[in-house]
Amino acid sequence: MIISLKDINKSYPGVVPLHVLKDINLSIEKGELVSIMGASGSGKSTLLNILGILDNYDSGEYYLDGVLIKNLSENKAADLRNYMIGFVFQSFNLINYKNALENVALPLFYRGVSRRQRNKLAMEQLERMGMADRATHLPAELSGGQKQRVAIARALITKPSIILADEPTGALDSKTSKEVMQVFRDLNNDGMTIVIVTHDPGVGEQTNRIIRISDGRII
Amino acid sequence: MFDLISEIMATLRHNKLRTALTGFAVSWGIFLLIVLLSVSRGLVNGMESMFSQRDTETVSIRGGYAQKAYKGLKENRRIRLKDSDLGVLASQNANVVGEVTARISNDTSKVTSSKDYLTGGYQGVYPAHQHNDGLKMVKGRFINQNDINHTRRVVVIADESAETLFGKEDPIGQLVKISDLSFTVIGTYETEWRRDTYIPFSTARAMSGGSDQVNNITVKLKDVSTLDESDRAEQDFRSTLGRQHTFADDDSGSLWIWNRFSDYLRSSTAMGAIGMAVWVIGLLTMLSGIVGVSNIMFVSVRERTHEIGVRRAIGAKPASILRQIILESVAITTLFGYIGIVLGVLVSQGIAALVSGSGGMGPGGKDEILKDPTVDISIAIQVTVVLIIAGALAGLFPALKSLKIKPVEALRDE
Repeated sequence: MIISLKDINKSYPGVVPLHVLKDINLSIEKGELVSIMGASGSGKSTLLNILGILDNYDSGEYYLDGVLIKNLSENKAADLRNYMIGFVFQSFNLINYKNALENVALPLFYRGVSRRQRNKLAMEQLERMGMADRATHLPAELSGGQKQRVAIARALITKPSIILADEPTGALDSKTSKEVMQVFRDLNNDGMTIVIVTHDPGVGEQTNRIIRISDGRII
Repeated sequence: MFDLISEIMATLRHNKLRTALTGFAVSWGIFLLIVLLSVSRGLVNGMESMFSQRDTETVSIRGGYAQKAYKGLKENRRIRLKDSDLGVLASQNANVVGEVTARISNDTSKVTSSKDYLTGGYQGVYPAHQHNDGLKMVKGRFINQNDINHTRRVVVIADESAETLFGKEDPIGQLVKISDLSFTVIGTYETEWRRDTYIPFSTARAMSGGSDQVNNITVKLKDVSTLDESDRAEQDFRSTLGRQHTFADDDSGSLWIWNRFSDYLRSSTAMGAIGMAVWVIGLLTMLSGIVGVSNIMFVSVRERTHEIGVRRAIGAKPASILRQIILESVAITTLFGYIGIVLGVLVSQGIAALVSGSGGMGPGGKDEILKDPTVDISIAIQVTVVLIIAGALAGLFPALKSLKIKPVEALRDE
């Protein structure tokens, strides 16, 4: 079991506190390809934040690959994100003044890997994504699908325990979306655990399991 | 380290125009600082070279007119210094007096050679006089103690006077006549504005027809280092001579006293104050540049909120973001600061060339107001340290602000 959530609760403080996640219990096995679906405001983004160690939760327990993720310092959280999680975002989130190779290598920069080693590993990941010939291109010179492939290469370079994808096809046309989903399925076939957050039923259908969330509860 | 630098260079390149505009303010501030520093350095050098030719630790005393009635004597008495005053000054102020010398002036005698003659009389002096007046010997030597002891009839003249008297011939060893006595020329000094003819004090005394008056007494101070001590010594000399010549201690007209040491200390203090003022003005000018950098870093952090969020999401620790923002600020400040330094040094070299080319103030450029207005390596190092500190300070607050950016920002859409 790579992800285990037990009775997770999360509310945002305010005049009227907003109880966003209510007693969430969820298990995801190693090697699964899972989608989390829900309408906007359902709490799926908050769940993603917690899964990605981007945000804290109020009560319950979250184990990621056997590590209890709770009350972490910012530094510890940064390390765990770097070592265990590969993020893929809707708007790619490549750094626009760095070329494809540098973008892919960036997570290893924060791990203190030498430049030569970093670039070698980044090139390997770009080759895996079929993007080796675009290594020196800036993000602005790449198409949407190409950008998302670079972003996936960046997520993979740290050899993470899971890949968390937030609406990975949200900014892509249907043809490119299919290609990107094919990339995810190929990675899954190689044994990678992948969690995709989406509201697109077409994307959900291509995963092995759909977790539906509504009004802060899994249904 | 190399990674960090290339990272910073990439972000700076990304915003070329903004970086350049911000940097201009810093360059300008540093440029002004360097130019001001070099000009003030030039002023100090000019002053020091002026003083270094002369003996600064001396007090010159001449007789004046006693303005006040004192002990039954009427006002407006002429005070005339005499030989015996030298010994009294030395013995009664032994703790501050090094050496006491005097001068006898004769304004009327002619100095004649076979060719021509000079007017203006002669000065009977001690060997120490050479340094007091800052005379630079061109040929031969100045009067020495043996000349005094043996009452030799020797004379030292200005090099331009030597030309008047002897033309192109070597003046050393030539004979001149002063008051019908033969003198041998033993040296010539470089003519500035002074063209006095010097003979040994004892010789002048012998020629003064039984008078014991001296025109001027020069006291070389010893063990005096502060303005207070120097002014007190001056007052003590006045009291001592007041007892000898019967005038009131506070009668300022009785003696003309020129305290070169006090003058020197005062102008040194003034120069020090100019130096300080230049630093203050320069740093304040730079401050506006620094505020500009700080401002732009705030804008940069704001603009890059999303990027910083992404970096945090993929594993950047808060400290590495902090370091990057501060180093970016230091990089902007130092880079453009150095442009300012280079321009400032070029301009001050230009000023230096101009000043030495035009020859400054005096004839032949001896008394330059500005001398070598350039900055040395120690100032360059000081300015560099200032730059790095300033850059770090400018980046500190934006960097602290960047720490508030949460990794969740990465998930927000731009």
